[in-house]
Amino acid sequence: MKSKRKFIMVCIAPALISFLIFFLYPVLRTFLISFYKVKGVADGMSLWEYAGFSNYIYLKDSPLFIQSFINMFKIWFIGGIITIFFAMIFAGILTSGVRFKVFWRSLIYLPNTISAVAMATMWTQYVYNNQDFGLFKSVFRALGIRALADIQWTSPQFIFTSMLIAFCFGSVGYYMLILLAGMEGIPKELYEASKLDGASLFVQFTKITLPLIRNVFRICIVLWTVAVINFFVWAQMFSPWPDPNTITPVYFMYSVVFGVGTEAIPTDVNVGMGAGVGVILTIVVVVLYGVINLVIRERKLEY
Amino acid sequence: MSMTNLKSILKKDSRLAPGYIMLLIWLLFSIVVIGWIFAASFSTTREIFTNTLFKSGIHIENYWNALVHHHFARYFINSLIYTCTSSIGIILISSPAAYVIGRMEFPGRKLLINTFLVTMSIPMVMIVIPLYAVMVSLKLIGSMFTLIIIYIVAHVPFTTYFLTGFFSTLPKELEDSALVDGCSLYRAFWRIMLPLAQPGIITIGIFNFMNIWNEYFMALIFANKAELRTLAVGLRSSIQAMRYVGDWAGLFAAVVIVFLPTFILYILLSQKIIAGITGGAIKG
Repeated sequence: MKSKRKFIMVCIAPALISFLIFFLYPVLRTFLISFYKVKGVADGMSLWEYAGFSNYIYLKDSPLFIQSFINMFKIWFIGGIITIFFAMIFAGILTSGVRFKVFWRSLIYLPNTISAVAMATMWTQYVYNNQDFGLFKSVFRALGIRALADIQWTSPQFIFTSMLIAFCFGSVGYYMLILLAGMEGIPKELYEASKLDGASLFVQFTKITLPLIRNVFRICIVLWTVAVINFFVWAQMFSPWPDPNTITPVYFMYSVVFGVGTEAIPTDVNVGMGAGVGVILTIVVVVLYGVINLVIRERKLEY
Repeated sequence: MSMTNLKSILKKDSRLAPGYIMLLIWLLFSIVVIGWIFAASFSTTREIFTNTLFKSGIHIENYWNALVHHHFARYFINSLIYTCTSSIGIILISSPAAYVIGRMEFPGRKLLINTFLVTMSIPMVMIVIPLYAVMVSLKLIGSMFTLIIIYIVAHVPFTTYFLTGFFSTLPKELEDSALVDGCSLYRAFWRIMLPLAQPGIITIGIFNFMNIWNEYFMALIFANKAELRTLAVGLRSSIQAMRYVGDWAGLFAAVVIVFLPTFILYILLSQKIIAGITGGAIKG
């Protein structure tokens, strides 16, 4: 028995120790730093200067930080509706009996397998390009839709929308896969029975599919929330320097901690504020998670 | 095929027509974007701007430019080292832990599973600042180990969780008979259980490989020096320079270099990759 206990310890130790050093300790330390004024990101504790809640007060009064939160919320809400709506539509199409289902499924998931940096480059340098070779420009011009052909997709007026479209396009496949797995778990007999009763595809979708994938739907919203909280690469690819139109909290934190001196970021910031952003985001995750669980209760379904 | 048969297929498919139209639009868009990027990467910058791709033949030198002058060969090798080393490291740490959690009873087992679950939803910004300080004090900044350690640690919780489910479904008799035969616990795990869990290990291994290859945030913070950069970070730092000197063809060649490896991997292994994603998400 003693050797078994030793075996368990040997197996667990590497995972546990790496977790404690590189996860638990940093989380606690970030929480602590947010109450101090810290100049350099690698400064030891002896160089920290206690600052109470002043970092949080600074963030509350910073228009750029508030804007980053508004942007994040817009991405979460508007982008969430668009992405999950289309994911649902495509999952619905794939379960409706189309041919070559495996091929379509792989195709729609494809954008998720490509590096976001490469994807964003394709969007900004080709699809949205204002030169004559830009995809949207040439297609809309060929179709004679002047209003759309003249849009400057990467101008300050449209950049947020452009970024949101590109991000949603790249995300749809992931949520489609999850919803699809949920839909495939629904017994076929239900559809056959309703078809005999003369139900249309739309009625089948709203009356059978939707209620029965409730739990999977909840998982989608949780995963979407985690993805949006960490939103960074698309913002940085669409705006190489922090821009109020596209900045998100993580981008704000990155600029404060690792890129001070760039134009939009004031110089009176310190690392503690970056830590404060992390703490606020963690609280937001916990609160949103609670709200989601409250609104969409997990239900045991039997069929 | 009889006439009535064909008719019934057409009738069924007409009901599905709107669905097919949406799928075809998606297909067309994907082909046009990827196809154009490929074409542009083999043309000259002048041809790109005058919409006359391929006019002067195929220009492989764009790739040579990107690989050598813009250091993408170096970034490629770096990405390969980071991704392979950490993918293997994750499995070495996660599978023994998953085996024990999935098959043995010990105090704190439930707590351990729940901790790993909670960890997955903590934003990365919450750990990145102290992590930088830890790496500085371990004198690891400026070495490739930094990013490798971070990737391993960041993926161990989910991988352990995923494999736990896998190990717990294996039949118990196998292990018992191995122990009766005088095998030690270590040997039974290494020789019998690990090979049995191979399908799960391969699935999660490919999944981690793709994630790490495409990872950006941590790479930007911990490997943003020319000799340490990954492909993603390298592409982002080259875009401005390439646009400035007007080397658009080289820019698109660089984009192809960044996405081609995962693109090919995906075409070859899409079933495995999709299985990993749905399996993981539905459970988690």
